[in-house]
Amino acid sequence: MRNRGRTAFIITYLAPAVFLYALFVIWPVIQAVGFSFYKWSGLSSNKTFVGFDNFKSLFHDSVFWQALLHNAEIFIIGGFAILVIGIGIAHAMQGEGRFTKALRSVYLFPNIMSLVVVALLWQFIYHPRIGIISSLLGKPAPSKPGAPVVELSILGNGDKALPAVIITFVWFAVGFYIMLFSAGIRQIPQEVAEASKLDGAEGFFRFRKVTLPLLWSVGRIAVIYIVINALNVFALVFLMTQGGPDRKTEVMLTYLYEQAFVNSDYGLATALAIANFVVVMGVSGIIMRLTRKDPSGVPA
Amino acid sequence: MNAIFRGAKSAATWAILIAFTLIVVVPLIWMILSSLKSGSEIFESPWGLPKALHFENFTHAWKTAGIAHYFVNSLIVSIATLIVLIPIGAMAAYIFARYPFPGSNLLFGSFLGGMMFPQFLTIVPLFFLMNSLKLGSYSLYDTKLGLTIIYVAYSLPFTVFVLKGFFETLPKDLDEAAMIDGASHSNVFWKVMLPLAKPGLIVVGIFNGIGLWNEYSLALVLVPSEENRTLPLGIANLVMVEHYNSDWGALFAALVIVMIPVLIVYWIFREKIHETMLAGAIKG
Repeated sequence: MRNRGRTAFIITYLAPAVFLYALFVIWPVIQAVGFSFYKWSGLSSNKTFVGFDNFKSLFHDSVFWQALLHNAEIFIIGGFAILVIGIGIAHAMQGEGRFTKALRSVYLFPNIMSLVVVALLWQFIYHPRIGIISSLLGKPAPSKPGAPVVELSILGNGDKALPAVIITFVWFAVGFYIMLFSAGIRQIPQEVAEASKLDGAEGFFRFRKVTLPLLWSVGRIAVIYIVINALNVFALVFLMTQGGPDRKTEVMLTYLYEQAFVNSDYGLATALAIANFVVVMGVSGIIMRLTRKDPSGVPA
Repeated sequence: MNAIFRGAKSAATWAILIAFTLIVVVPLIWMILSSLKSGSEIFESPWGLPKALHFENFTHAWKTAGIAHYFVNSLIVSIATLIVLIPIGAMAAYIFARYPFPGSNLLFGSFLGGMMFPQFLTIVPLFFLMNSLKLGSYSLYDTKLGLTIIYVAYSLPFTVFVLKGFFETLPKDLDEAAMIDGASHSNVFWKVMLPLAKPGLIVVGIFNGIGLWNEYSLALVLVPSEENRTLPLGIANLVMVEHYNSDWGALFAALVIVMIPVLIVYWIFREKIHETMLAGAIKG
């Protein structure tokens, strides 16, 4: 009797969540695999099975490779900056005082803000006429009326646009990693820190020999998060540059959006989504394997 | 000698911290100051302080640029999502925490898997699914109801994950004692466990609330019309599509309007948010 009540209870209490999750998350994931084997412009009569053709055309599509390269640049350059700043700032503000905590909260705030606000704000910051960067870089003082204003368009410049996006990416993301590394440093046993101090390990030497190896496991987590975020960049690029100028900032997901919702090539777009997912999982897997042991040989 | 060295080191440390703090804060302060400047000040002195506070930028953004409408839409969708999400998520989390059954770990695992799928993996099938699900003669595509349902579904993995952890920390004797007193399974849940889980519900509410308020990608694809646009979509549209550049002050004010609710909630709950993000990052 009691057991029967239990089963009914389990079913009724799980049902709403399982139903919504299965219908709107799991089912579309399964469908995505199917979609990627079709050539389809949205009209059901035109749906034709093409096997791996979508993946093949991606493989021969120079824009896809360009986009992937940009994702890789965001990951490598942005990721390197994030790790250096994250570890450096976390190391610089050890301690649990009120002030340190408040600072950490300030640093985390860009990560909590709407990405739309971040993207638009930085679009304004880089703006040739109103932005603070351009005016720093040499917009002539507007004292002489009618004098030609040298308009430095940062986001419109093929060489500068991607670095500008990467700077925004780092500005937005880095607070999270400062938080992560601060927690990592807090986990370092006090005795280790004290002992190294007594041994006369000073400054950078102590940082390199004591702090850094002990941050290994947190560092791995951080790198995986950076992989996921860098390969899934969308709103930032979409709102700052739309992938331009001349595809110089195109990333996988902005290209996916274009293929799906501008060109109505839904099969190709879904193949791109799957390729994106596979790349994220593959790169994460490789990094986890390569970093399984830290340099001192202690398994993480 | 050593003391001087240490002094120099901490001076360098301070210089780095101050410089970094400026890099984080200056863009935000610039945004707020610009939202109070006149149009010509924004052009002529990007670095200058406003000579007078032009609060009318905010009325322009709110009324003329239509931010009020988007604000209300965001409020409706976010609150409706939380009202449905939190009970449904808590119920499922409670079962996973307290009522193990054959396959329950597998089911819970598949919920966690949802945190790994990037949203764009499902975006195309989701677009067609919403178009094909009909309510009378309308589809769920481009409706606040449809967006709400999608937000509930996509917020479930995180919600169930956090709340399951929370229910597991509550002492087991409590529900056992209540059951012996003759309370039903569901009475124990609603009358005993849920009130005790209130701190967890608050954390989940804040996190999802902020995330929903900021959400852009799903809304971009699922609610294209002006009528149903949420705040992030509305303001993005203002800048990107309508080129609302004639009134820069109002644009900055609009950005501030999107940010302010998040800033307030964040500052009140910053320690809690910090803790939860950390726990999620390291365990997840």
